[in-house]
Amino acid sequence: METGSDRAPDIISNLPLNVIEGILMCLPLRDAVRTSILSRKWRYRWTTIPQLVFDDTCVPVTSSSLAVTKTKFVSFVDRALLLHRGPIQKFKLSISYLQSCPDIDQWILFLSWRNVKEISLELEEKEWYKVPSCLFSCQYLTHLELFRCEVHPPPTFKGFSNLKSLSFQQSYFENGVVESILSSCPILESFTLTYFDTLSMNICAPNLKYLRLEGEFKDICLENTPLLETICIALYMTEEIADHLEATTTCNLIKALGNVPALERLVAESYFVKYLSVKSVPSKLALKYEHLKKLELYQVGFEDVNEISVAICLLVCSPNLEELLFSASSDNEACIGPDMDYWDKQHPIDCSFKRLQIVNMTDMSGVPDEMEFTKFLLAKSPVLKTMSIKSSTYLTVEGAWDMLIELLGFPRASPQARIIYIQDNTMT
Amino acid sequence: MSGDMAIIKPEVMKSFVWLQTADGSIQQVEEEVAMFCPMICREVLQSGMGSSKNYAIPLPSRVNPAILSLILDYCRFHQIPGRSNKERKSFDEKFIRIDTKRLCELTSAADSLQLKPLVDLTSRALARMIEGKTPEEIRETFHLPDDLTEEEKLEPLRNTADDPRIRLLNRLYARKRKELKEKEKLKNVEVEEEPVDERSVDDLLSFINGGNGDSKSVRPPKSKKKNRRKKDQLKDHCSNNGNNNHEELDALSSKSHGDLNGNVFVASPSRTSKLRDVADDTYSPKLEFDDDIDDELDPAMKEELDREVEDFARRLNSDWPQRMQEILSLGQERRSVPVAINGNGSLRRYSRMIGPKINLRYSYCETSPVARTDLTRSLQTITVDDTRKA
Repeated sequence: METGSDRAPDIISNLPLNVIEGILMCLPLRDAVRTSILSRKWRYRWTTIPQLVFDDTCVPVTSSSLAVTKTKFVSFVDRALLLHRGPIQKFKLSISYLQSCPDIDQWILFLSWRNVKEISLELEEKEWYKVPSCLFSCQYLTHLELFRCEVHPPPTFKGFSNLKSLSFQQSYFENGVVESILSSCPILESFTLTYFDTLSMNICAPNLKYLRLEGEFKDICLENTPLLETICIALYMTEEIADHLEATTTCNLIKALGNVPALERLVAESYFVKYLSVKSVPSKLALKYEHLKKLELYQVGFEDVNEISVAICLLVCSPNLEELLFSASSDNEACIGPDMDYWDKQHPIDCSFKRLQIVNMTDMSGVPDEMEFTKFLLAKSPVLKTMSIKSSTYLTVEGAWDMLIELLGFPRASPQARIIYIQDNTMT
Repeated sequence: MSGDMAIIKPEVMKSFVWLQTADGSIQQVEEEVAMFCPMICREVLQSGMGSSKNYAIPLPSRVNPAILSLILDYCRFHQIPGRSNKERKSFDEKFIRIDTKRLCELTSAADSLQLKPLVDLTSRALARMIEGKTPEEIRETFHLPDDLTEEEKLEPLRNTADDPRIRLLNRLYARKRKELKEKEKLKNVEVEEEPVDERSVDDLLSFINGGNGDSKSVRPPKSKKKNRRKKDQLKDHCSNNGNNNHEELDALSSKSHGDLNGNVFVASPSRTSKLRDVADDTYSPKLEFDDDIDDELDPAMKEELDREVEDFARRLNSDWPQRMQEILSLGQERRSVPVAINGNGSLRRYSRMIGPKINLRYSYCETSPVARTDLTRSLQTITVDDTRKA
């Protein structure tokens, strides 16, 4: 057997264990496991890496049938877990061809005994995976991320007392389950819920800093979220939700955003602005968003005065706002003309956006209310540096000319304000 | 003279830190650069070391003078605030273009100074030298001794999990291989015969359908339940298509069918191709984590074998395109369903706008077929919208 004498000395094996672990964690797990045949020193080095990520790269796709690939994958995970020593910080399963099977339940049971801290599960796309009850006994969990899972906490579930980050994507719950889980995660800081069907959400999470919701929500009420810094909400519209909004009598803006004093960033997508505009938008809220620097409102429908009011109300309540990004989604047919009554009388005249420097508008089609809003921003932003306007793909060349000519005439409160017009290239 | 010192000294005190490497050499380094290393920073703040040559901070033995100067270059660049991510990235890329030995030393030294960003950077670079390489190549790169016996290499890794399915399939492969070899021999002596064994696919079938009390099987009733839920997502418009594949399969075999409950082969094409890209199986087969008995098999023969197995898979799956068809045609049916419009016209406002606003959803659907039902829904609304505009 070859000895070290006639070779250059080994240059990597004597690195400190934590460094070698770090290198192994940069590798796909399969490559990490394979290092065990390199040399005696590397034999069991991989077995102590704290993060185990099982994904499609674990089993190479040969031309053998998917059934064989699956069996190989299951056996790969089985053996990796069997041979692994030491604490498992993170277990991630992200596999495109595996469905619910008892093996997964057993892996999770195993992890729950090993005090796992982070679990992420994403299985094949066509089915929901019903997470086993043992998942709810992982008391040390700090991060939990589930894709397409059926989540039914057992009656004995006492909450995740260490959980900081929770993400449910396209998952399925019975009524009240999300709220009950939320209320039993006392130190939760980040919560993501995407693709959820028609639901009313009351969120009480005193330590929450990050919230992302996406789906068909009927009601969103942030009841107790004093530390919430980032809110990203994309709301979809269905007939059922449209009906519900019709019947709503309370002010959605106050319910959703009336109680988030620590807000630093708000991203409203899809129909969320529409949702906020339902039932009598106040001209001012009781609180000021002192920390709000960046406001992003997408797909604002300018044919609806209430939606404009939401935008203006948020602007007025954000004295330190520096950047405004928004896109219009105006229905040309519904825009008959500027509601001059609104622009002359109702909107706050005495306001000024003292810190607003950047305004970025996209999908502008030049309808009168859009122009009035632009005029309003230019007139009320004394330190504005740039306002960039990107036209909608539907805008004709004549429409763009009209829009530009009108824009030129608007008085600007900021002498240094630059207007940048960007034409959508896809339309010529 | 002393007056001069009085003026210069506070400057020196303030902006330099004295460092001593293991070989005894001492040098002074700009404070803001040195303090970028948490280990040095801690020494300065906690023990007040480094303020003069006599109180130089002793660096860990892993930091030799040559490596220290590399590390200080790194710190000098990154301690300046306001650099763009792009600038930093391009610096990093150039920075790690050094020979492997120095890269290892740098990693070790950065670790001893607790300079985590640099440890991460160099570790990633080292990982790239391992990823996808053969053991021989890796040993070559890092001068690793090949000090395991062949037996030892196989020992903990080979497929000890006694999986009857793999065993059976391997046996089938082996038989097939033998047959093909025979065939090849015959061809070589220019004798034309027809040794194609039609039974082989049936063998495969019966082995897969064999229902050997497999504990890994997916509970069929559960799948049905889930299919039903998906069906609900389709707002009950897709009647009973969810269970079609089960029925088809049941028709294929009267026995229980292990874990092959219809969805097994229905991988989305895009995923499959992605998988193929990833598959660079460079290790010699006998050293595989999963021992596949692909030994000394003629590639051409292997290809034929694989084709046969794939063909079999296709037969099992023939209902999948059919199912897609059904889903698509459902979408068409729904187009004719008008979006409800109520009297006061404001709902009209919402529903009309469903069209332009779905772009976000569309991209979402692309990545997540569970939401595919919504793509269908969105497509309908687009159509509704268009007709109205027309």
